[in-house]
Amino acid sequence: MKFLIKPVAAAFALGAMALATIPTLAADITIGVSIPSATHGWAGGMNWHAAEAKRRLEAANPGLKIIISASGSATEQANALEDMVSVQNIDALVILPFESDPLTDPVRRVKESGAFITVVDRGLSDPTIRNIYVAGDNPGFGRSAGQYIAKTLSDGGKVVAMRGIPTVIDDQRMDGFLAGIKGSKIELLDSKHANWNRDKAFEVMQDFLTRFPKIDAVWAADDDMALGALEAIREAGRETEMFLVGGGGAKDVVAGVRDGNSSIAVTVLYPPAMIATAIDLTAARFISNGPVEGIFNLASPLITKENAAAFYFAKSPY
Amino acid sequence: MSSSNDSIANSLDVLPALRASGINKSFGPIAVLHDIDFEVYPGEIHALLGENGAGKSTLVKILAGFEQPTSGSLAFNGAPTVWDSMRDAEENGIVLIHQELNLAGLLSVEENIFLGREIKKGLFVDHTTMRKKSRTLLDQLECRASVTARVDDLSVADQQMIEIAKATSRNANVLFLDEPTAVLTPHETKSLFKLLRRLKSEGVAIVFISHKLDEIEQIADRITVLRDGKHIDTVPAHSVTKDDMARLMVGRDLTEYFPHIPVPDKNADIVLSVQGVATDTGIVDAGFDLRRAEVLGFAGLQGAGRTALMEALIGLDPITTGTIQQNGTTVKFKTPGDAKTARIAYLTKDRKGKGLLLGNDLVHNFSLFALEKFTRFFINRKAEKAAFDAAAKQFDLRAASPKMLAGSLSGGNQQKLLLAKVLEINPDIIILDEPTRGIDVGAKSQIYGFIADLVSQGRSVIVLSSELSEIIGLSSRVAVMHEGRITGVLEGDQITEEEIMRFATGLGASTDAGKNNTTTATTVEEIS
Amino acid sequence: MIINWKAAGPLIALGALLVLGTLINGNFLSTGNMTNILTRSSFIGIIAIGATFVISSGSIDLSVGSMAAFIAGVMIMFMNTLKDLTDLMWLVVLAGVLAGAVLGMFAGWLNGILTTRGKIEAFIVTLGTMGIYRSLVTYLADGGTLSLNSQVRSMYRPVYYGDILGIPFPVIIFAAMAVLGYVVLNHTAYGRHVQSVGANEHVARYSAISTDRVKIIAFMIQGACVAMATIIYVPRLGSASSSTGVLWELEAIAAVIIGGTLLKGGYGRIGGTVAGALILTLIGNILNLTDAISNYLNGAVQGVIIIAAVFLQRGIGKKQK
Repeated sequence: MKFLIKPVAAAFALGAMALATIPTLAADITIGVSIPSATHGWAGGMNWHAAEAKRRLEAANPGLKIIISASGSATEQANALEDMVSVQNIDALVILPFESDPLTDPVRRVKESGAFITVVDRGLSDPTIRNIYVAGDNPGFGRSAGQYIAKTLSDGGKVVAMRGIPTVIDDQRMDGFLAGIKGSKIELLDSKHANWNRDKAFEVMQDFLTRFPKIDAVWAADDDMALGALEAIREAGRETEMFLVGGGGAKDVVAGVRDGNSSIAVTVLYPPAMIATAIDLTAARFISNGPVEGIFNLASPLITKENAAAFYFAKSPY
Repeated sequence: MSSSNDSIANSLDVLPALRASGINKSFGPIAVLHDIDFEVYPGEIHALLGENGAGKSTLVKILAGFEQPTSGSLAFNGAPTVWDSMRDAEENGIVLIHQELNLAGLLSVEENIFLGREIKKGLFVDHTTMRKKSRTLLDQLECRASVTARVDDLSVADQQMIEIAKATSRNANVLFLDEPTAVLTPHETKSLFKLLRRLKSEGVAIVFISHKLDEIEQIADRITVLRDGKHIDTVPAHSVTKDDMARLMVGRDLTEYFPHIPVPDKNADIVLSVQGVATDTGIVDAGFDLRRAEVLGFAGLQGAGRTALMEALIGLDPITTGTIQQNGTTVKFKTPGDAKTARIAYLTKDRKGKGLLLGNDLVHNFSLFALEKFTRFFINRKAEKAAFDAAAKQFDLRAASPKMLAGSLSGGNQQKLLLAKVLEINPDIIILDEPTRGIDVGAKSQIYGFIADLVSQGRSVIVLSSELSEIIGLSSRVAVMHEGRITGVLEGDQITEEEIMRFATGLGASTDAGKNNTTTATTVEEIS
Repeated sequence: MIINWKAAGPLIALGALLVLGTLINGNFLSTGNMTNILTRSSFIGIIAIGATFVISSGSIDLSVGSMAAFIAGVMIMFMNTLKDLTDLMWLVVLAGVLAGAVLGMFAGWLNGILTTRGKIEAFIVTLGTMGIYRSLVTYLADGGTLSLNSQVRSMYRPVYYGDILGIPFPVIIFAAMAVLGYVVLNHTAYGRHVQSVGANEHVARYSAISTDRVKIIAFMIQGACVAMATIIYVPRLGSASSSTGVLWELEAIAAVIIGGTLLKGGYGRIGGTVAGALILTLIGNILNLTDAISNYLNGAVQGVIIIAAVFLQRGIGKKQK
């Protein structure tokens, strides 16, 4: 059983190895990282990757300080930003905004304090605020899944979709999915919100199974939901009738795809590690001599049996 | 006795300040007032007298606009009036001081006195002026409470004084006082009377409700007696004696309804011996003996500690020092459960708040205290119901159905149910706290009968009562408490109202018998 | 004829929902769907049976959802650890189940002792423990998901997916807990005491009832029920995360109140609670079986039905008087 002390030995070892080749910073630099708290699997993975990046970068760069603050709501996140400016006096901000509109002005104020701004995943309403934008491809996330299903069921088929919590991202993904199956012979039976939650997905899938005598494929816009749905399909003994397409890149799902022993045929990457990319780029602004400002679009590739091994992180919680 | 009868003569020439004609009032199917006529003149103190449940409080509430009459009319200074609300009445200078205190306990004295009518300086509350005015009002009542003190921290008597100060600050034309002296000491009562006489001389019409006949004799100009919701008589105060008043109230002789309870032998076993008991609830060094098959009365003024002592004895509150012996063995009751095991039952005076579950049915209430008796692993509902039926018969419990809720029983039947409940454990020692409070005369005499039965079965009963007639009528001995101590235990001929009051007010045995009947002995007598 | 609306209200609502479901989808009354509904109700239902005791005693327990997640997390980690020590998988599962039960009762005892001896309102105590358990499970899972080892899981799986004579195991446990709860609440001295303490604590104390003990035991019954629900929950998905059991406390309280138990205490109905839990599950099921209502309005539909069910039980009952 794990108790309340985490092993940090590995981090120390990493730090010791890095000592040999330390680049020097002109002055002490503080980077603030503001992200949503770990309320579901994907966010948990993102929190883990942020902490990993902090450990790695701080060990390699003395004088670099990374402060991670996880918030439970848009309001809390706005408060956290105020604290970062007034108390921590940050030089740069990496933010994954809860919601675009409400956080635009708070981030603008951070910018006005002189900080360098990196925005991750969701953009702000005013694109002139950011210096770096690391964008996840939400429409592409849905489209990849849709296209995969359309291609696999080229003779047509019946599909159900399982959506997340009703939000802008969820709508973008769903629209992408609809675009992906457009023009094919796929019939979308229905879509329901299962709130990115495994339990809820189990129940929604059970009811889909009751309602539709024949289902060829299931799109779950998140791997947690895919796992819940899979359990319901297994219970009903209908694994051979349909396949699932997940999303996100949860390690249990990736492992299943890799080993080919699950009904989840493929999943679409929406990597929680994108936060690490953003932190790296932001740190590079102070360390590297190369330019970093601009927009970075991370692809949402399909994770298939062939490439799955590259997307498996044994230690990540997601 | 009375000194100011001339003022009535004068006032009869003017219009009554308030006149009620043909007032009827029903709550649902139950009629509580029948065709009442009543009037009060400016500069008059009019006493309203009657037993509990006679309808005094209801009448007063109607006169002051708190309740609407079912039929009948009111006239204010001669003009027909309908009070739309209490506020409407209050704006015309009609002020009612309720029987229950209506203070905001967490606010200060000054804030309470001016609650809702705060004096303002610009936008802000003018505390300085309000404090000064509050001080003056309280000084008139000789009340020494600080105007900035929190009301919850004051004694009940001081709270009552604040209630009175609050009322008088409203420049009343007609002032109703519903049992204002119940919680006051004789001295405080005197101060109040001084104030009332002054208000009367200023032309205020005053209606005064009290059970204390001596007070009425001292202060009232006229007396109206109600019985069972009917107007019995209105008489000038000087024309009647206290005995007359009592007879008018009850409608028969007082003595007849106490059963004969034999006085136990002097050498009877002592079943309970209490020595040197002190508690955090205000009991200091209390001690008494209870003999087999006797009724031991406990008298004292409000707050003397009678209830606090009994609640500590049965384990509801911790005892800090002292010993209790039951049948010669030292016992300790940490919880009411321990006392129950020792077959001691306590009947609370707070029937509705602590005695019965008003929202539950009669059987549930009846069996709650003695539930083990009906339970092996499961509750034996048949046995429970049978026991209830037997008790209902024995205690003459009149209820439409055992399924009805305790809250919808009449006061008397509630009291019988509570008595049945505590007696179901078959106790040896029964402590009855105000066993007849707020119930009608018929139920009262039945309960006296039950007490006599208990004693004849060899059980011992302690009766706590504020009604001296009840204490005197039932007890073979009377313990009197004053400020947390037992100041005396009276026997035989010693048991008189005067003697009890002497101990209750802390004066001790009668040594100054010469000047009786003015202040101490008389002010706190209670008949009904 | 006199109809007992308190008892009939939830049943009428239940019946109306069954008719509605049948009209909406022909498969609604199929054995499969009925089994799903009953099995699904069993988590909230079992927790709500415990909540009936706590609420009848005049308290409230907001921590049950977080408590379930925490117990599930600890059980999974405990069993994963034990698995490395022994090959006897049934022993691992048994030990895990016992650990869950003990933890649940301890958590209930803690809530009880803090409310009674600590003299803090139950609302505040359980609001506090709700946050504590939720954070602890998030911490234990590193913000992710704790998954049960697959070997252990295959041994444990039948506890959720198994059945006796076609009746799923969770439903049997739910029914057994309901019967037990009914008997304790209505036919034992303890049940009488619980309702008396809830109706008026003073009266209970003056009737020589140890009110603190009654309340602590009510919280422990709640804890035991949460543990029982968790024990059948864990094999379903074999995982626990910070999102496990979110809002179960409100669903459990809603089930209890829909069933006719008074929120202010003093009167409890286990049968009503069971009906309440079924009603809540049915609403979700029916919404999943139709696309007639916008997904965005699910919460509104649930709200309307909950209020209507309680109105049936009280509003009409009052008019009858």
